Amino acid sequence: MKLLQPGRITEMSGLTGMGMTRLGLGLLAEPSQRAPVVVLDVKGWLSPVAAWEMGVDSSRLVIVRCSDPQLWPQVAAALIDGVQAVYAEVPAGVRDQHLRRLAALARARRTGVALRPLGDALPSGVAHLRLRAREVRWEGAERGHGQLRRRYLVVEASGRGVAGMTRTIEMVDDGTDVMRVVSEAVAEERQPARVAG
Amino acid sequence: MWYPKLLPKSGSQPASPVDRSADVRWFETVVEVIEDLVPRVEVAEPGLAYVPVGGAVRYYGGEQVLAEKIAGAIPPGALLGLADGPFAARQAAERAEEHDPLIVEDTASFLRDLEIDALGPSELAETFRWLGVTTLGSLAQLPREAVASRFGVEGLSAHRLAAGEDRVPQPRPIPPEYAVESVHHEDPLEMAEQVAFLTRSLAARLLGRLARDGISPFRVMVEVEAADGTVRQRTWRSTDPFTEHALAERVWWQVRAWIDTPGGIPGGVVRLRLDPSDLSGEGRQLALLEPVERDGETTWQEVAIDRHDAERALSRAQALVGPDAVLQAVPRGGRMPHEQVEWYPWGDQPPDVASDAPWPGKIPPPSPALATSKPPPIEVEWDGGMPVRIRLGTRWETVLSWSGPWRMVGRWWEGEGPADRYQIVTSVGAVLCVVKDGRTYLAGVYD
Repeated sequence: MKLLQPGRITEMSGLTGMGMTRLGLGLLAEPSQRAPVVVLDVKGWLSPVAAWEMGVDSSRLVIVRCSDPQLWPQVAAALIDGVQAVYAEVPAGVRDQHLRRLAALARARRTGVALRPLGDALPSGVAHLRLRAREVRWEGAERGHGQLRRRYLVVEASGRGVAGMTRTIEMVDDGTDVMRVVSEAVAEERQPARVAG
Repeated sequence: MWYPKLLPKSGSQPASPVDRSADVRWFETVVEVIEDLVPRVEVAEPGLAYVPVGGAVRYYGGEQVLAEKIAGAIPPGALLGLADGPFAARQAAERAEEHDPLIVEDTASFLRDLEIDALGPSELAETFRWLGVTTLGSLAQLPREAVASRFGVEGLSAHRLAAGEDRVPQPRPIPPEYAVESVHHEDPLEMAEQVAFLTRSLAARLLGRLARDGISPFRVMVEVEAADGTVRQRTWRSTDPFTEHALAERVWWQVRAWIDTPGGIPGGVVRLRLDPSDLSGEGRQLALLEPVERDGETTWQEVAIDRHDAERALSRAQALVGPDAVLQAVPRGGRMPHEQVEWYPWGDQPPDVASDAPWPGKIPPPSPALATSKPPPIEVEWDGGMPVRIRLGTRWETVLSWSGPWRMVGRWWEGEGPADRYQIVTSVGAVLCVVKDGRTYLAGVYD
């Protein structure tokens, strides 16, 4: 399963701290080997160090900061129009119609876009693939000794990108440029529709 | 025509990104001297000008005579090269001696023996060298399709140059509405800052107008009219289509040079016009093959990749949010995540910083994806020096594990006290905290 596809929107949701930003930056690693990639940073906190660790080429990574929800749709549209891969935080207050237009623009320009909503979830029909962090577990730190070494992240994937079936993926991140999928399972089997007769 | 004192060799590092107005001012006097002999000189950089000599050679009776005439007229220090096309001419100039212009008879065989570094300081040239392709001749011998599919537009362009096929401007009519002009007859611009602002906005207007049609210029003529009616013109050219940043910079250098030369722009600027030529839509060519994964299989599909689209997109974003908000970064040494980053505005040269020195006490990877240089306070409950609960947003989370304290001694000579760092893990993730003077601050989130 490819998490960032040309012309598609991938929604990345979950509580801040669970690891979705790092996963989103990792999606830019492969496109950055060919062309510039962009991160649209709303809070101004995004650290390129994590992106470099995930394999993003530093010479091709551009970080655009925009915290104004009124201006954000224009900036996002300008970037999606010309850059091959974009990871964008979405500030609270961006209107649904703007997000739908951005999805159409991404389709037309074949741009791979990962959106990380900081407020409400994206409106339906925008995301081709929805990734939601469900659980996170860290190894390495104990009661004062040790250090953070490895994170296990359980992500739920849903939407058209997984043919409508919800899948659960467990990934491990040890600070190298590979976030490995350690297990993948269909979480919910489709039940036959109940028929009254 | 090349002045090494103003501009490094094409195979070496580019000139430092300083204001080059002074160089342009001096070079403008040189260009004016050449224009007395040969019209339509095109400036590429301060220190590098191209002179189309076709008609002048016939007029003066030979290339050698013309080259000697130019060399005799301009200030010492210049190197002259004559060849077919700007790329070969520049290479010839770099190999010429002062007072001894290098006139290339057979451009293809001249290029064949040049080192691959002649393509300029790029990763591409390094990759070719690593692959054993050390001369332009050996590159030209490779099949063009193979080079294009492996190295993209950049590779294709390098292959063309190596084969002696420099870009030939497309003879196409240019609609007059492409030119942009700003007129100030009633209130001439006399302040340099006003003119500087105008150059930037005109450059953005010009490239925005062309971008709508998917084209960009390789050549732009700058024309200024002074309040007394004097009109000055100069054409600038670029190897790649102009970006907004590059064009605005060159227009400003040029106008500044005219302002500062004796006579200047009497009475101020009443009209500034940018006239594009040698337009190209080559950025939008469908020329690249990309792997596309479909149903678990990888197929190769022709997709549109525009190397100039990204620059235009970033230029537009820069116009919306300002140059300080469109950034790139290079790694540097430091203990905290925010200290390990040297930011610079997109479009500038990357700063030269050392990043390979050891930094004892550095936060080890995986690094927090969110980090700040101005950590806000965060509430943490402590029990005997051990974190028990941490407030994340509106909720309190129980601390599951932690590492630290890791002592960090600040710049004590500047009055900065020591601080302790903690990595704190909860059921919803991990954060990096700093405890200083009894207060806890949030320095990063392992999101």
